[in-house]
Amino acid sequence: MKLTRRNFIASVVGGAVGIQITPLPWKFTDDVAIWTQNWPWVPVPPSGEFSEVSSVCTLCPGGCGISVRKVEERAVKIEGRTDYPVNPGGICPLGMGGLQLLYDESLRFTGPMKRVGMRGSGEFQRITWREALDIAGARIAALRKEGRPEAVAAVDGNGEGTTASLLIQRLMQAVGSPNYVRPASLSDTYRMGNILMQGRDAPIAYDLENSDLIVSFGCGLLEGWGAPGRVLNAWGMWHEGNPAKRKVKIVQVESRASNTASKADYWVAAKPGTEGALALGLAHVIIRSGRYDAGFLAEHAFGFDDWQSRDGVVHTGFKTLVLKNYAPEQVSRITGVRPDAIVKLAGMFMDAKSPIAIYGKGKNELNGSLYEFMAVQSLNALAGRINRVGGVLLPDPLPLNPLPHFECDEIAAKGLEKPRLDRAGTKAYPFSHSLIHKFAEAINGSRKSPIDTLLVFSANPAFTLPDGGAFETALKKIPFVISFSPYRDETANMADLILPDCVYLEKVDDIIWPVGLQYPLYGLSKPVVDPIYDTRNCGDTIINLSKAIGKSVGAAFPWKHFTDVLKERAKGLYDAGGGLVRFNPAAPPWVAKGAGSKTGFKSFDDMWKKLEAGGMWYRPAEQQRDWSWLFKTPSGKFEFYSQRIEQAIRSGSTKEMRITVQGDEACMAHYEAPAQDPDRTAYPLTLFPYEMINLASGWIPSPPFLYKTIFDTQLLKDTSFAAIHPGTAGQYGLKQGDLVSVESPAGAVKVRVDLFEGAMPGRVYMPLGFGHTGYDEFLKGKGANPNAIVRAGEDPVSGYPVWWTTPVKLVKA
Amino acid sequence: MKKENDNGKPRHRYGMVIDLDKCTGCGTCMIACAAENNVSVRPDQSDKERAITWMRLYKITNGKEFPDTEVSYFPRPCMHCDHHPPCVSVCVATATKLDFNTGIVSQIYTRCIGCRYCQAACPYGARYFNWWDAYFPKDKGLDRYLSPEVSPRMRGVVEKCTFCHHRLMRAKEQAYAEGRREIEEHEYQTACTEACPVQAITFGDLNNPDHKVSKLVKHPFTFRLLERLGTEPKVYYYSSRDWVRKLGDNFLPGEYKPVLHKTWMQEEWSTKPGRDTY
Amino acid sequence: MDSALLPHGVKRCSPWAFFFWTLPWLGLLAWGGLSAFLCLWKGLNQTNMSNVFAFALWIVFDLAVIALGAGAFFTGFLTYIINKKELRNIINTAVIIGFICYSGAMAMLGIDIGQPIRGWFIFWHANIHSMLVEVSFCITCYLMVLAIEFLPIILENRKLEEIKELRLFGHNLHEIMAVFAATGTFLSFFHQGSLGGMFGVMYARPFAAREGFYIWPWTFFLFVLSAIACGPLFTILCTKLAELLTRKKLVPDSAIQALAKISAWLLSFYIVLKIFDYLGWIYGVVPRAGLTFESFFREGPYGVWMVVCEIIFCGILPAVILITPQGRKNQGWLILAALLTCIGIVLNRFLFIIVTLAIPVMPFERFWSYLPTWQEWGVGLAVVGYGFLVFSLAYRYLPVFPKEKELNPAPES
Repeated sequence: MKLTRRNFIASVVGGAVGIQITPLPWKFTDDVAIWTQNWPWVPVPPSGEFSEVSSVCTLCPGGCGISVRKVEERAVKIEGRTDYPVNPGGICPLGMGGLQLLYDESLRFTGPMKRVGMRGSGEFQRITWREALDIAGARIAALRKEGRPEAVAAVDGNGEGTTASLLIQRLMQAVGSPNYVRPASLSDTYRMGNILMQGRDAPIAYDLENSDLIVSFGCGLLEGWGAPGRVLNAWGMWHEGNPAKRKVKIVQVESRASNTASKADYWVAAKPGTEGALALGLAHVIIRSGRYDAGFLAEHAFGFDDWQSRDGVVHTGFKTLVLKNYAPEQVSRITGVRPDAIVKLAGMFMDAKSPIAIYGKGKNELNGSLYEFMAVQSLNALAGRINRVGGVLLPDPLPLNPLPHFECDEIAAKGLEKPRLDRAGTKAYPFSHSLIHKFAEAINGSRKSPIDTLLVFSANPAFTLPDGGAFETALKKIPFVISFSPYRDETANMADLILPDCVYLEKVDDIIWPVGLQYPLYGLSKPVVDPIYDTRNCGDTIINLSKAIGKSVGAAFPWKHFTDVLKERAKGLYDAGGGLVRFNPAAPPWVAKGAGSKTGFKSFDDMWKKLEAGGMWYRPAEQQRDWSWLFKTPSGKFEFYSQRIEQAIRSGSTKEMRITVQGDEACMAHYEAPAQDPDRTAYPLTLFPYEMINLASGWIPSPPFLYKTIFDTQLLKDTSFAAIHPGTAGQYGLKQGDLVSVESPAGAVKVRVDLFEGAMPGRVYMPLGFGHTGYDEFLKGKGANPNAIVRAGEDPVSGYPVWWTTPVKLVKA
Repeated sequence: MKKENDNGKPRHRYGMVIDLDKCTGCGTCMIACAAENNVSVRPDQSDKERAITWMRLYKITNGKEFPDTEVSYFPRPCMHCDHHPPCVSVCVATATKLDFNTGIVSQIYTRCIGCRYCQAACPYGARYFNWWDAYFPKDKGLDRYLSPEVSPRMRGVVEKCTFCHHRLMRAKEQAYAEGRREIEEHEYQTACTEACPVQAITFGDLNNPDHKVSKLVKHPFTFRLLERLGTEPKVYYYSSRDWVRKLGDNFLPGEYKPVLHKTWMQEEWSTKPGRDTY
Repeated sequence: MDSALLPHGVKRCSPWAFFFWTLPWLGLLAWGGLSAFLCLWKGLNQTNMSNVFAFALWIVFDLAVIALGAGAFFTGFLTYIINKKELRNIINTAVIIGFICYSGAMAMLGIDIGQPIRGWFIFWHANIHSMLVEVSFCITCYLMVLAIEFLPIILENRKLEEIKELRLFGHNLHEIMAVFAATGTFLSFFHQGSLGGMFGVMYARPFAAREGFYIWPWTFFLFVLSAIACGPLFTILCTKLAELLTRKKLVPDSAIQALAKISAWLLSFYIVLKIFDYLGWIYGVVPRAGLTFESFFREGPYGVWMVVCEIIFCGILPAVILITPQGRKNQGWLILAALLTCIGIVLNRFLFIIVTLAIPVMPFERFWSYLPTWQEWGVGLAVVGYGFLVFSLAYRYLPVFPKEKELNPAPES
């Protein structure tokens, strides 16, 4: 047949029609539909054997028990452990999202690196561990050779007393530098207050579970204060059953309708920084009514009534001071709380069977004020709530073995004699161990950085410090920075050398006494998965680094592995006798005699094995310990009037210690108005950075999951919001969502306005945790970091930053 | 209410009670849900119109002036409506179904054609469309935490809370392996229930009188979202606060009746005066 | 150039003029093509649709176009079943417009669904309880019917008619057109109704929910009625537009008037029922959900004015104009009334789609607003371009208007 146009068309049409009656088109239709169900770019998670690994979350010092579900070698889900005393069941959102911190490769350093790009650009080149350790070791060794080991400094963000932290301190001692600094946290305020009033260098122990009235002076109970797993679990317990018959009441003192304030039974909106005055106001009402614990005051307290010292001088007592200065009307003027509310709240405190006043400032990540803590603690003492069930307990520190003594070499000994750069422990700051903002100030204030090499461990001071960016400025001046962070955080991006730590799920680490817990607990995490990149446990790296620096430094580290150090310390727990390594949910450790005394292990090795498996060693709460030897103050009693402060003032001066009052008042809890700012007219508003439980604001980055929980009135695209009272916003003609610049003397940030009735008028509330410049696309460039514009004064005596009263103004953008 | 299925066994009706007094708005449930169910996280999660959150927290305020302001939260999973779920009857491809034996409203991702009629029909906003491919860039390695128990979804289909159906399967498998035909209350719990650090969520079989949920739903403080529309949600809420209960549904002026009348904590000094009378 | 293809005895513009006329429509099609490609390739994230606005611009276009295209089946019904002879002069136009509307809507739906390749699951895994399934079935079948109805018109092309087989085939098709008209009427009645039913059955969306008769909410009947009222008017509008553009009379007034009169009565009937529907809804469905009529219009740009426009300016007003003989006989009034009616129906569909979704049901949910992206406009407007193009081609090459020659006698040369 000849191929004509007609034939051709006919055959094409015929063919097309013909194909329709074959199975071909139908098969094809089906196949492409099946293809859409198996798109090759949609991940198919491989299956395999399922297993559960029990460990401890070390993302915060709260130390919750976690159980990780694994499929073969992959960790696929984190859950709370029901067989762990801190958090029987639940965990916080941060811990829940932890797997993203493990598996998000662009969030992490995959091995040791050296900087190739500009500082802060985050451009690094992979090197071997040998090279990395050699560079770091040689640098430090050279400084030691020059005779200036003090030019080495370390910033350590590990929990106080953790083994990693002890190794870092030891390294600094062996090298010979006194410049070991830690970011100030609430625990530091607690520790200092405990020393001054109780003479005890022990953690704070609030027996919340046994209390029936919890008056929280600023603790973000639902924002992540204390051990979040424990507090939230207790919160659930308190609200169990019929609300009309609920036994436990919670009062929140805070300036903003936070979750805690909203969910508490009562919310007392005191101005930020006046919580101490309010506590003293309650004390006033209680003293007036005479319903204080006279027995405790007479037997175990010092400085309540007026007293005469050995030199015959009559001193004002706490009672006189409070009666004179803290009548409800006076306190009302300071705090903004109605006088009748103060009287009623004091009445509640007196009527309750086992009330407790607890002190905090949001989470634990930032410091509090010493005098405020003393005021709250004085209130507890007044009501006899110290060393009582449901009150403040006074346990001994964990009986861990100290690290063995070692001899410093000559260079180190000389270096250690040099003064600390931050002047902590001097007459001006007699009780502070370290003052990181003074450290940054000292560097920024000198022409050439006195620090040559800075080691940064588990900290991101360039982002987390409420210092108006001072540390970041200092970082730029320091010639060489070594970061041990596993994450590409802001500080690590400024580093010249990276010796990456493992992520928490890949390493063994310890938790020393979760903040606020009323019983001693030692937590031990274990690797849930093998390190997925070429990273090493920081503890091991420190040991290796010490050897790389030189023989005499290395001699201070006679261990092969970090685990050996942990084990050596834990031996002390065994030697102390007692303790439990298993948790029975039916016998929680806060119930008197509930947990029994059978330890459940025979030898130290047995204990260690069980400790590794279960991740805990704890001892049920010791309520009502024998009073003798309990207080290790000069008076041997609870000191309303701290003789240690008195001594410090005598050897220094109130002016140096930034105390504005004179005489006896300075040694007792009292309220000091923050130094009047000359620019107050230019900056009429006050910035209050606030913390959220669902946004990490410390050195751990927020797992991207957390952003699902952030409301679009907190973050919208790349702009975060500042919560402002509608009345205050109205004065500036601001509407919901308007862009504004929040300006302080330290700088300016751009945010959107969120009109919030629950914000105290005249305040600007900005969430902490936004505004990262490090990490990856999930976190980078999202929102503004209020820390960048904080201009903090210094807290009297402690010298910690007063980060809650930055003067600001709003400028419409 | 107690019907039997084909095997002559009583049917189950899985449901949930969320205690809003306990709920602290921490968001752990949302994260547990996303992590358990392989929900991907896109770089911008502030686009709440398109972000996928099977469990979603809604923030509410009592609207009062400072310092009487109070904040609370509504965690909102799929309601698993028991009566004629609005989404089920409208689905063109029978990709969503109310399971008679469990009361769970399921979603078959591989059958969904993405017409989104179900989203339009659902008043709770519990259904989520995959506007993008799941965000697991190859070089990031985030796909390493994906659970093989839940299939990741492709772009262009609707997904929703399944009451962690795979956990029911897991529990059943375990029970069958041990020679049991029925599962215990604690054996099947959703991820959000387990994760909640304040134990605000209670999950169980509403048809089983021994399960805690079936006792809780009888409490006068218990209510459901948009109850008067007649969707019969199997997710219940519990709150002692009148203003919270009132926000659970639409009411004409004067229609809302407070639950009980016993004064509790009505003290004039409180910054929350008369927060609740019952 | 293409004179061999043009119908006998009528005047058409030069091929070049025609080419330039098609350019803007081709432009729209290109824009739409790019948009469609992006939506299919990258996904629906190219649009501003969201989990709140699950239905948006495209569905508004779809529903509007399907309502406006209802002229085809209803005119067919009147022409072939009722046997209104004068309508034979306009039936071709009605069929072509119907075909354009339905095929355009189908194409848009194909892009609108998230998994177009699985579109056939509607038929394979059909859920018979879903109004949308009914819509899909009927629209698909009806589009085939429309194609069959369109076919004889195409076969009347001068060149095609020269082929004997085709001529015969076309002629025979013509003979049995009544069968297809009946099928089309049946199918259309149900899908127009089901489109309304789709929204009325959303009982958990108080703004859209309606009570009804048996399984059909009132919107089912109202959508049918509104479609058959406005469809013919849209056909009239298109004819008038064609007459305006060609500067020729194309359809005898008798056909137009007959259609307008029928539409007038239907529209009047519809608007009365719609008012009752509103009242029944305001005093029934709405308060039962704990809401008030005003509570729907508290936020955002949508207000009671939309309802006022729908009922009074785009309902009662055109009904009055059309029902009075003087009104509909006046060229200007007729066009205005037809235009208003069409706007009213589109507004009605807009209310059911966009406003339903924009208004939150949960008391604590916020109000959302929506603006389409250029991709959404592209796909939507491509249907307009497609319509102009197909109609222009049909007009140029097919004897769409049987009386054109008669009404426009060629001047003696």
